[in-house]
Amino acid sequence: MTKRTKGDLLLDIGVYAFLIALGLIMLLPLASVFSKAVSEEWAITSGKVGILPVGFQLDTLMQVISSSVFIRAFCISVGVTAVGTLISILMTALTAYPLSKRNLPGISFCMVLFIFTMLFSGGLIPNYLLMRQLHLVDNLWVLILPGMISVFNMLVIKSYYESLPEALEESARIDGAKTYTILFRIILPLSMPVIATIALFYAVGYWNDYFGPMIYINDTALKTLQLYLQDVVMDANNANLTNKSIDDLMNMSPEGIRAATVVASTVPILLVYPFMQKYFIKGVLIGSVKG
Amino acid sequence: MIMINRKWLSLVLCAGLAASMAGCGSSGNTNKEGAAGGTAEQTAGAQKEGGSKPELKTLNIWSKDDYNTYTLAKVVEEQTGYKVKYEMLPADKAMDKLNLLISSAEPYDVITITGEKAAYTDYAKMGALVDLTPLIDKYGENIKASISPESFEAMKVDGKIYAIPNRTSEFVGSSLMIRTDWLDKLGLKMPATLEELTAVLKAFKEKDPGGNGDKGAPLSIDGALATMVNVTGAFGIATGWSEVDGKLVAAPLQPGFKEYLSYAADLYKQGLLDKEFAVNKDATLKEKFTSGRVGVIPLPWYDIPGIADALTKNFPDAKYAYVPALKGKDGQAGLGMSGGFDRLTFIPKSSKHPEDAIKWINAKLDKDTFKLIAIGEEGKHFTYKDGVYSPILPLFTDERGLASNYLTGIDEKLYPVYWQARVQKDPRLFAGFTFLNSEVPAEYRISDPLALAPSLPEYSKNNASLNQMINDFAVKVIVGEESTDAVAAFIEKYNAAGGEASSKEVNEWYASVKK
Repeated sequence: MTKRTKGDLLLDIGVYAFLIALGLIMLLPLASVFSKAVSEEWAITSGKVGILPVGFQLDTLMQVISSSVFIRAFCISVGVTAVGTLISILMTALTAYPLSKRNLPGISFCMVLFIFTMLFSGGLIPNYLLMRQLHLVDNLWVLILPGMISVFNMLVIKSYYESLPEALEESARIDGAKTYTILFRIILPLSMPVIATIALFYAVGYWNDYFGPMIYINDTALKTLQLYLQDVVMDANNANLTNKSIDDLMNMSPEGIRAATVVASTVPILLVYPFMQKYFIKGVLIGSVKG
Repeated sequence: MIMINRKWLSLVLCAGLAASMAGCGSSGNTNKEGAAGGTAEQTAGAQKEGGSKPELKTLNIWSKDDYNTYTLAKVVEEQTGYKVKYEMLPADKAMDKLNLLISSAEPYDVITITGEKAAYTDYAKMGALVDLTPLIDKYGENIKASISPESFEAMKVDGKIYAIPNRTSEFVGSSLMIRTDWLDKLGLKMPATLEELTAVLKAFKEKDPGGNGDKGAPLSIDGALATMVNVTGAFGIATGWSEVDGKLVAAPLQPGFKEYLSYAADLYKQGLLDKEFAVNKDATLKEKFTSGRVGVIPLPWYDIPGIADALTKNFPDAKYAYVPALKGKDGQAGLGMSGGFDRLTFIPKSSKHPEDAIKWINAKLDKDTFKLIAIGEEGKHFTYKDGVYSPILPLFTDERGLASNYLTGIDEKLYPVYWQARVQKDPRLFAGFTFLNSEVPAEYRISDPLALAPSLPEYSKNNASLNQMINDFAVKVIVGEESTDAVAAFIEKYNAAGGEASSKEVNEWYASVKK
């Protein structure tokens, strides 16, 4: 390559320093929550806990993790995320395939139909009533079925399919492969980068979904982790304090418990990222240089 | 996404609610689930079942533990014979969710919410609730015995009772907390008047018993509560409204308001009040007090244990106590008391078993059952001696700590006595509570005249924004951005923003009960 001048080096150092500083700044709030989760309550109350924990202990975290309500919510979230991601990725990949074949009749009309759903929706109350008619209220499928296919994700996969050389499919066909064989044995394995990326999108989406469960889940036994988290954290929100009775105030969770709940609910999904990282980089190249 | 959705939520809910209100009236008869269908049908249904008790579906406010698995669920079931499925509202945006559930006519049999009379009144007015008056007459023997006519009066909407209230016992919740070891160090005694308070604060600043140098301040308050408890009492405005010559007058309209502001502004100017107070939050305040940077803060008694733990950890010799009711120049003093209702229980029209719901509520108010639910069994959960109920820990907290969530209506005579067992969970908590509520002379404990008022639409519409206005103005005056002369102009703005309308409405109600 070309020789690097002193100016380039200086710029590089500057850029790295800036990015590292930026990264650290973004990590700070996270670090503070983590240290609150493992610090003693008195230290939190007196504001001694910053980036590093004071009076290290794991009791609070253990208390949160061992609470039956937490465990139940956690399992539900894991289940919904796993099942939801599987179904979603399968259905999205299947839907994208025919749409990527420009020579199919009526394909542009179908595309319009899909795009339409991206732009318009029925509104909350009609949706709620519809879900109730379908007996989906208080049913965990409500978290998966209505949003099973994200049109945006489908378009990403579709354009990846389109970027694969057509000759590949033709030669498979000559070798006697039928449509499903082509899709599952040739196209999908080649699309792993984008599939993995979209799977991660879906997984994070399912894991973080708060709005859906809040609206459609009334049954306490079916609450997801995000609902539980929101409840625990918002319970002590200033705006909520004014209409609380003394009994409720006396029963309020201390700050440490709230921090520990946040940690226990976020760490699992954070752990997914490193394993997806290598696909992630390839997968988001969609739309850039082809060839 | 979520942010957008939330905004949508409230918007759409409002629209939806309006639409469903319109729908409610007409669709009542056609709706198969028989919302308004009428009690006759339900009675028939109950008889057909041969008196077997149906499972009730209830909706309650948020609770740390699952209602269905907490020990009390079983106790209630055994005592009343009703199987109950409990559901709860979220901790955040509870009223939005409730609106959604009510407008889509989810078939709950019993709904309990916090004491928000405004929401309750709206539901009653739009016809979403079952009129309880005849049901209580027929099945509510214990309900009638436990709940005072006064409380029922506050529940009336157009002359009918639609809810069963849990009345809160009246007590002082908060006052100024002072570091007494600082007082001892400087050889000062506990301040009893405003002048003495100023003198103590001055000494705290000059002699610096906390050893903070310039970093600390003698007194700090929460920026959202710029009207300091206890100090306001010395100016005759301990509660938001108080009686003057037989009429209720809001705090800003009283001369004490201006005097209070000039006193607080003076403290600020002298550097006796924390310079950063305007941005203080509840947590910052506690932080400053427990880390020894501040010697006096307003503190509710239920926060004492946490504060005490942190304080002793940081300063093993630290001592603290409540400042007694401070006297102003005319010997005026007062600590405001809370009161009113902390839970309202109603039966929505969509209920499938309104009669059983009332029977269930009634059964829970049976004297023995009620005691069992509220504080448990003697010798197991509590001990009883000399008229005082003391908890047995930790079982009491584990099995009865969340009891108030299971109470739908309370025995108004006995519950305040039982209730103190909760305060005795921690001796430091109890000490703070008893100081404010028994040692402070009764005449200085000022009760809220609006505690038992029914829902007043103008008042509840404007109350929150008016309070915000008062607070913002108070902060501005205290930090010297506005002079106290601006009070007159402020009162004009206050009246225009709904203060006058509220005052008219509040006084119309007050005149009607005084008769």
